[in-house]
Amino acid sequence: MENVLSILFCLTLLYLVVTSRIKTYVTILRIQGVLLSLIMIFPFIEHLSVHLLIIPIVSLIVKAIIIPRFVNKIVIDLDVKRIVEPSIQPFNFLLLSVFSMSVLFVSAHVLSGFTTIEPIPFASAFSAMIIGIFIIIFRKKLIIHVVGFLILENGILLFGTSLSAEMPTIVELGALLDIFVVVFLMGIVINRISSTFAQPDVTALGRLKD
Amino acid sequence: MEILFLIGCSLILIGAVLAVLVKPIQLALRIYVGVLSAGLLFNLAFALVNLVHLPATPLLFPGFPVLSSFFRLDGLALFFLLIITSAAIPAILSTLSYLNHYLHKAAAVRAFLVSFSLVLLSTQLLVLANHAIVFLIFWELMTLMAYLGLLLEKEKPEIQKGSFIYFATTHFATFCLYIFFFLLHSQSGSWLFSDFQLTQSSGMVFYVAFFFGFVGFAIKAGFMPFHFWLPHAHSIAPTVLSAFLSAVIIKTGIYGIFRMLEFCSPLPLWIGAGILAISLFSAIFGVWYALAQHDIKKLLAYHSIENIGIIGIGIGLGCLGITYSIQPLIWLGLGGALFHTFNHAIFKSLLFLGSGVIYSNLHTRNIELMGGIVKSAPWFVGLFLIGSVAISGLPPLNGFMSEFLIYRGFFESASIFGGYFPFFMLLMTVGLAFVGGLALACFTKINSIMFLGNERSPHLKFTVTGLDYLSLGLLAFVCLLFGIYPQIILGPISSVVAIFQSGESAQTFSTFAQWNFITGIFAAIILLISTLIIWKVSRTNQRKSAAWGCGYAGQTSRMQYTASSYADDINGIAVSVLHLKSKVKIPETIFPETSRFHSHAGDFSEDGLVKPAYSWIIGKITSVDFLSRTDIRFYILFMLLTVLFYGGTAILWTYL
Repeated sequence: MENVLSILFCLTLLYLVVTSRIKTYVTILRIQGVLLSLIMIFPFIEHLSVHLLIIPIVSLIVKAIIIPRFVNKIVIDLDVKRIVEPSIQPFNFLLLSVFSMSVLFVSAHVLSGFTTIEPIPFASAFSAMIIGIFIIIFRKKLIIHVVGFLILENGILLFGTSLSAEMPTIVELGALLDIFVVVFLMGIVINRISSTFAQPDVTALGRLKD
Repeated sequence: MEILFLIGCSLILIGAVLAVLVKPIQLALRIYVGVLSAGLLFNLAFALVNLVHLPATPLLFPGFPVLSSFFRLDGLALFFLLIITSAAIPAILSTLSYLNHYLHKAAAVRAFLVSFSLVLLSTQLLVLANHAIVFLIFWELMTLMAYLGLLLEKEKPEIQKGSFIYFATTHFATFCLYIFFFLLHSQSGSWLFSDFQLTQSSGMVFYVAFFFGFVGFAIKAGFMPFHFWLPHAHSIAPTVLSAFLSAVIIKTGIYGIFRMLEFCSPLPLWIGAGILAISLFSAIFGVWYALAQHDIKKLLAYHSIENIGIIGIGIGLGCLGITYSIQPLIWLGLGGALFHTFNHAIFKSLLFLGSGVIYSNLHTRNIELMGGIVKSAPWFVGLFLIGSVAISGLPPLNGFMSEFLIYRGFFESASIFGGYFPFFMLLMTVGLAFVGGLALACFTKINSIMFLGNERSPHLKFTVTGLDYLSLGLLAFVCLLFGIYPQIILGPISSVVAIFQSGESAQTFSTFAQWNFITGIFAAIILLISTLIIWKVSRTNQRKSAAWGCGYAGQTSRMQYTASSYADDINGIAVSVLHLKSKVKIPETIFPETSRFHSHAGDFSEDGLVKPAYSWIIGKITSVDFLSRTDIRFYILFMLLTVLFYGGTAILWTYL
């Protein structure tokens, strides 16, 4: 079951690569949040202890409700254009992503031969990290960068569950809090920048250099 | 006994705090000098007491398990503590009169006082450290605080340039030391100096670790290809700091080399031979460059390189002794090196502090603009002369004594080893004698040009304060004492050298010469010379005429013999190697026109090695400069590529 959910997670990543509307990005963030909390609820079903329930519930609230709503609010407040401005052909981006994902899946399969990882969640987690970074690299708009960081964080969270050894709760909560603060700060930064520059994208950040 | 050391260190810290807190700057300076010299006296007493009776358990603070593993009181550490404190006290005493000229810049003076006291403290803790990380912390602290101390007159461009050279070079040295200590740690699994082991059986690691350790310490010590920072830093530093830099801070490099010898056992032959070669090179070329300088502090800086070379020759001899386990050679080589380290700290402090007095009176460091000082301050000139005689290695002063031990080492090893050794040792002996000759030429040059003759630039009054006389007099007294009666210091040196001597037949100093006999001869020489002087002075009337006059009556002070012409003959031998350049413009018409002479002494290491390498690196960096002008996405791409590179390397390393 975990494997099926991980594959679904990977499919959302691929959809993210080809889409060009900000609204879809936010929707996919929601879907990923739900998928992640579903994946993380399996240990609870096995053991039925309360503290295993904390992480799924918190991540469901934060990832599927609060953060998407916050991003939506920024988009509406600042009246940014509702499409992303790619700096790479969408098809090329798709090819690159599929290629790196296949490399990751193959190497995860190889690695599972002599380590105790579960290959499919492991590879999907890594794909999320890589594609999050790709999104940051290839997209200009600052708000999309926030989404890229969130996807990177989703990957890290999934990575924790893909290892058979449990990640300590406090670490996961810390990562969650971290990313929340980052998103919050970025929102403030975007707000500030938009008061100076007409269209908030990262090329404007270069002008903040000393 | 630790209480002495604790009191001393806390007094130094209190002095730093008071220098900031006390409002009137004059008073702050006085309090600072008083408190710090008291603190240093405590530490000196601590070092002396422990050196005379080496503690059975070489631990500082045996009651506290953590602290006692961080610091160690073995003979080597205590001997260097002795050197540091005995060179620091005169420097502190001279601070008062030297900084008097800077009192209008109160903030800069306070900053200098704080950084100077931290330099003193960290240097002392550095030599006592037994833990590699603690050592590196104090090493960095010493380096950085000395850098801050260099910036007393930070508005001058030459000071910014020189201090940057110092900063960059010593930073590179620290980088080398990090690699050295990490490799040692990976070899022995411990951070403690007492556990470090480096054997040749570890293969490549031995060579890499030795290379980085030696380069790191040699940069600090100023061995010849690595010396280029030294003339820059010494000539721009405030004189009290440059005295301390030259007397102590570069000796931490020597301390490090001694520690390295302790870690490496057994010692292969090439280490000793290599150190001998590089040291002879430093000694000869250091003194040769010194001869070509016009700037008194730059000249003294090059003499530091020469003396580091002499110390290195002693270390190299000792290494040969360790390799073949010949006890007398170990004693003569390492003992001579340690003794010369101490002596150099003393007489170089004397000369640097003396040059500081001259600078604060005449406001120039150029030898060619001085002259006639002997008329206004004869006692000061006498003290400076004692330092000059000592550094030239002439009897009956301490410089001769340590070089005597090293010469004995040459003869000893020539007679012990057969084969080509007598020939090599003959070469070394001739080389060292040549160094002594050039040093003598150099110091006759500066003493005659600076002190004799007429004033080249008119100055109102030459004042030397009582504290200056006290600090210079103390140093001159030590020079004289250890020249005539070295027995008192040779005993502690024997106990230090015993660390490196294995086996039962530890040699003591009394084996090598009849020291009391030497003492008698030297005392007789001094007595004879001084009676001759008194007799001569009282008998003849002094004749006053223009110096270097040669019978020409209408002489001006600009017609006097100059330092450049004095040094020209000897420097002419090696002009191309030394990067000496001179421009002469002589009028060829009948009627006099303006004529010019300009000479400049470069440095082969700086002009030939460092500057090309630096500009090559800068060129390569500016060619990729466009990367830093892009936006955040490129930075993230670089990070991804870096992670991929490291990850790929790690995977290949593990599975291939």
